Amino acid sequence: MSSETQNPNEDAREQLIDLAADFYDQFAGGKIPELTLPTRTKRNIEYDPDSGVWVYGDRTSTRSANSVRGARKLLKAVYTIDFLAQQLDEDRSSTLRELYYLSESWDNTEAHFSDQDESNQMIEDLEIVSEVTREDLHMRPEESGATLMGPLLLREQTRRGEREIHCQKDVGEGGYQIPNNPDTIEFLDHEIDFVLCVETGGMRDRLIENGFDDDYNCLVVHLKGQPARATRRITKRLHDELGLPVVVFTDGDPWSYRIYGSVAYGSIKSAHLSEYLATPDAAFIGIQPEDIVEYDLPTDPLADSDINALESELSDPRFQTDYWTEQIELQLEIEKKAEQQALASRGLDFVTDTYLPERLDAMGVI
Amino acid sequence: MTSFQSTLGEDAGIADELAQSQREISIAEFFEKNKHMLGFDSGARGLVTAVKEAVDNALDATEEAGILPDIYVEITEVGDYYRLVIEDNGPGITKEQVPKVFGKLLYGSRFHKREQSRGQQGIGISAAVLYSQLTSGKPAKITSRPKGSADAEYVELIIDTDTNEPEIKTAERTTWDRTHGTRIELEMEANMRARSQLRGYMKHTAVVNPHARLELREPGLEEPMKFERGTDQLPAETKEIRPHPHGVELGTLIKMLEATESYSVSGFLQGEFTRVGGKTAEKVLNAFRDRHFGRELSWSVAASHEAEIKDAIVDAVSNKGADATESFASGIVEVLGNRERTCRFELAEIVDTVADRVEDETGRTFGDTVRENAIEAAWAAVVAFDSDATVSTNEAVAANGDAAGADSDGRDRLTSDLYVIVDEATSTRKDDAVIHGFSERLARRLDADAGEERRFRFTADELHRAVEDAADATVEYDEVSFGDTARENVFEALWAVTRTVPDDLPKVKTVAADRDTASQLLEAMRETDILAPPTDCLSPITDTLVEAGLRKEYDADFYAAATRDAEVHGGDPFIVEAGIAYGGELKSEGSIDLLRFANRVPLVYQRGACASTDVVKQIGWRNYGLDQPGGSGMPNGPAVLMIHLASTNVPFTSESKDAIANIPAIEDEIELAIREAARELKSYLNKRRSMQKRREKQDVLGRILPEMAEKVAEVTGREPPNIDGAMARIMNNLSVDREVSGTTVTLSVENYSDRAEQPEITDILSAEPQALNGDASVVDMDGEWFLQWSPSVSAGEEASISYEVPEETDFDVNVDGVDAEKLTVNA
Repeated sequence: MSSETQNPNEDAREQLIDLAADFYDQFAGGKIPELTLPTRTKRNIEYDPDSGVWVYGDRTSTRSANSVRGARKLLKAVYTIDFLAQQLDEDRSSTLRELYYLSESWDNTEAHFSDQDESNQMIEDLEIVSEVTREDLHMRPEESGATLMGPLLLREQTRRGEREIHCQKDVGEGGYQIPNNPDTIEFLDHEIDFVLCVETGGMRDRLIENGFDDDYNCLVVHLKGQPARATRRITKRLHDELGLPVVVFTDGDPWSYRIYGSVAYGSIKSAHLSEYLATPDAAFIGIQPEDIVEYDLPTDPLADSDINALESELSDPRFQTDYWTEQIELQLEIEKKAEQQALASRGLDFVTDTYLPERLDAMGVI
Repeated sequence: MTSFQSTLGEDAGIADELAQSQREISIAEFFEKNKHMLGFDSGARGLVTAVKEAVDNALDATEEAGILPDIYVEITEVGDYYRLVIEDNGPGITKEQVPKVFGKLLYGSRFHKREQSRGQQGIGISAAVLYSQLTSGKPAKITSRPKGSADAEYVELIIDTDTNEPEIKTAERTTWDRTHGTRIELEMEANMRARSQLRGYMKHTAVVNPHARLELREPGLEEPMKFERGTDQLPAETKEIRPHPHGVELGTLIKMLEATESYSVSGFLQGEFTRVGGKTAEKVLNAFRDRHFGRELSWSVAASHEAEIKDAIVDAVSNKGADATESFASGIVEVLGNRERTCRFELAEIVDTVADRVEDETGRTFGDTVRENAIEAAWAAVVAFDSDATVSTNEAVAANGDAAGADSDGRDRLTSDLYVIVDEATSTRKDDAVIHGFSERLARRLDADAGEERRFRFTADELHRAVEDAADATVEYDEVSFGDTARENVFEALWAVTRTVPDDLPKVKTVAADRDTASQLLEAMRETDILAPPTDCLSPITDTLVEAGLRKEYDADFYAAATRDAEVHGGDPFIVEAGIAYGGELKSEGSIDLLRFANRVPLVYQRGACASTDVVKQIGWRNYGLDQPGGSGMPNGPAVLMIHLASTNVPFTSESKDAIANIPAIEDEIELAIREAARELKSYLNKRRSMQKRREKQDVLGRILPEMAEKVAEVTGREPPNIDGAMARIMNNLSVDREVSGTTVTLSVENYSDRAEQPEITDILSAEPQALNGDASVVDMDGEWFLQWSPSVSAGEEASISYEVPEETDFDVNVDGVDAEKLTVNA
């Protein structure tokens, strides 16, 4: 999974052609072509103590041309490989959505994707078996719009040449937008004490308005909900390359815990990239169910889907720690959830003056 | 028929006045006014009904004579009328019988028989004659040549509607090219609007009578419709049976009692009914006795009372000498003491036996009077009851709870005996005092009704009433509840200690003369378990011939048929058969064709009123692979469903015999027959579907894989690979499929290869499977359930298991033991 070879495009292309060649050999050997992939479910991820992240286990599922569905999948895979190889050859890139529409132009109607989930999944499959990341295959997601704000100087390789950007001084209120492939960024200098990942835009804006990034030398990463790969990747690089502590600040509900989970432990769908994307040392600030009780925050009752999600998290291997078990069970008991903005009930400055400093202190970050 | 009755006390003149307008009306005249009842309500329908009646008769006549039917039907237009000709190759009808058969309503050989036949009342064909005569004014022309006769008889006749007598217009000898048979020619006002029903009738008749050759000519046909024989096998000959005891009504029973030559009821039962032999007759008679005389309640004799009884007997015997008297009395008491319970007639038997023995031993004579006296004295002691005695004891018991002390002063023998029975029959929660109080009231009540010689004879009703009364009084005076269940239990317990009395039953003449007694006999007959009537009076088509009939007339892909075992309704045995034809040339749009038959006769009209239609609509046909909009009602699809009811007495909804009445016993059998045939259809359709899926799969794979190979070659820049090997493997494999329907999951293995396979299937579930149906084991592994299943599947076969899990359960199936290339897992 390296992009640091001499000709990354050619390398990725080779890997893809090899895949096609495997199919060729299977055909020629009188075998039914098939593709074996790790099963991408909650039950098939396991903790890798070496890297500290969650990766796929031994369970595999096979897409075989033996069934109509499998054969269609493989046919699409071959067409996709053809397309990607050509794209790499021409050093161009496209978005996942473009791939979906592009398949419509293929001569074989059986190879057309029926929806974008299918084409997204195909790219994930190919990235797993070819061991080339999506970014190196030149497949981009839609811009997620996630941003950085804080005392960081970096250099980005853009199509219009290299740019040096300071993420406080050179950017507007909106901050520095994380590019789709953050590996094109080089960190030059920084005065950051810690990285603060924030789930919602409202809270991110509150922190910037209150000057939290200045006051605490903190890099505020806006996750924008479930974080895109680029966001997770840059967070990991900030932690690994600059040795910065990472904390995650989300709403106090089960969906937000999953956001933390994918930052810290890796997501189920991209567990093959956990080593590349996850930041196992990332810590969770809140809102913790405990905080709801302690700060007496305004709450909403848990919906049935929330309760199901919490119960499912109890059986999620990523949350099998004493801390999370305790917090989730507490939440199931109080049957309440709270948003980050609920802190505003104690005044607009409460979050920056009291809550975060108290929590960061308790966590030993400051 | 309308009747007028004058009322007593009113103006006497009215009756006379009315009498002037009252006159007898002939049956022919009656039906002339009610022809709709017979299926002659319109010109279109009249024609179909006439054909139907004539063909039914022809089939019955030929079969009875053991001749394979060959029937010819011709309809032609004659001016304003239609001429209908029906010819058969039956045994012919003698000259004398012709007018009666065709020209007299209600003349027939079948009405009084319990035997399966098409016609029953003898109305049909003469009604057709009548209809033709009423609409066209032309006589019926009948030609008949009895077997072996050189010439044929030709008769023209009409029916005199006033007298219900045939009137012969012409009669002459003629020649006919058929060696035997009958030909009837009718002219009638009619139209061919019911053409499709007519053709349907002929076709359906051909289906259920595969042994018959039929031909139809009518103006709308360019070529005659011919239905050839599908078999040379005549339907099994049917036997006439006597009525079954469960199937007669009171009126019929009384008529039979009046008509019989038997003297005793036992002889009558055995002689006039089917399935009644000596033993069954005895059972019926005992049940009759229980109703006619009631049963005698038996009582127990406590050891402490034996001396008292003995003394009573000794006192009642005089002049027999001390030894003999002692031996007699102690003999009786000894027997009584050894018995659990004894009733009055049993005591009499005991006394007789002991008296005979003592006579032998002592030489003394114990005459009838002595015996009578002894019985009376002993019985009085056994069932001693002084109603005054109970009041004090009741209070005593209420005070000290000692139930057994009731008869301490020796005058009430009944209460304590009843107490034991009641206590056992009622729930333990009942208070002792309540039970005692109830027993006492019951004792008083029974004693009051003990009857002649204090025999304690009660019918079930009387005993019921006694229990009710005692219970009601207990509720009222003791202010406790005494529920229906408790009452019923007490009654049951008491009834269990009653005995059938040995009295002689009235003779047949007496029973016949008294409606109540006859009714008791009828009840006894109905209550007794009696073997179902024999079924050789029925002639089912049989499943093979049902299938042959369908095969002959319908060009389909699949046929199934089922014949049920005989069942009984109201003493008449019946058999239901069902057949299904599917696919092929059958029309696929719209609902299926339902063919209804009763005793091999197609039912043409009133489909909606027929029990068989109701049953078909209630069945969930989607289960059997047929489309059924809304999940009920007539299913759709290219199918023909036939239902045949054979019975000695088909319950029709009306005289026109178009619809079977909704009798639950018959509906049940219809449903079972249909389901039996439908199950075969289902497995055929399933197989067809899976084969179709497989074919589709082969089609798709046969297209996709070469394309994929080509593309792979293009991408890798090589020559297209040879994919024959891969294709061969794919087309010859084992497939594992999962079907999830709500919470029900079915795993199935289909072996398309040419040898047996034993896959080892592990289904990993995130929830525990329930209601596992199949030979599989389940192991709980830390919140995941491993379901293991290793079916052995022969070449071309299929195996499946099913279980229940909550919706949204995760599955992960793993199959070992089969070459991966040979495996298609779609689960």
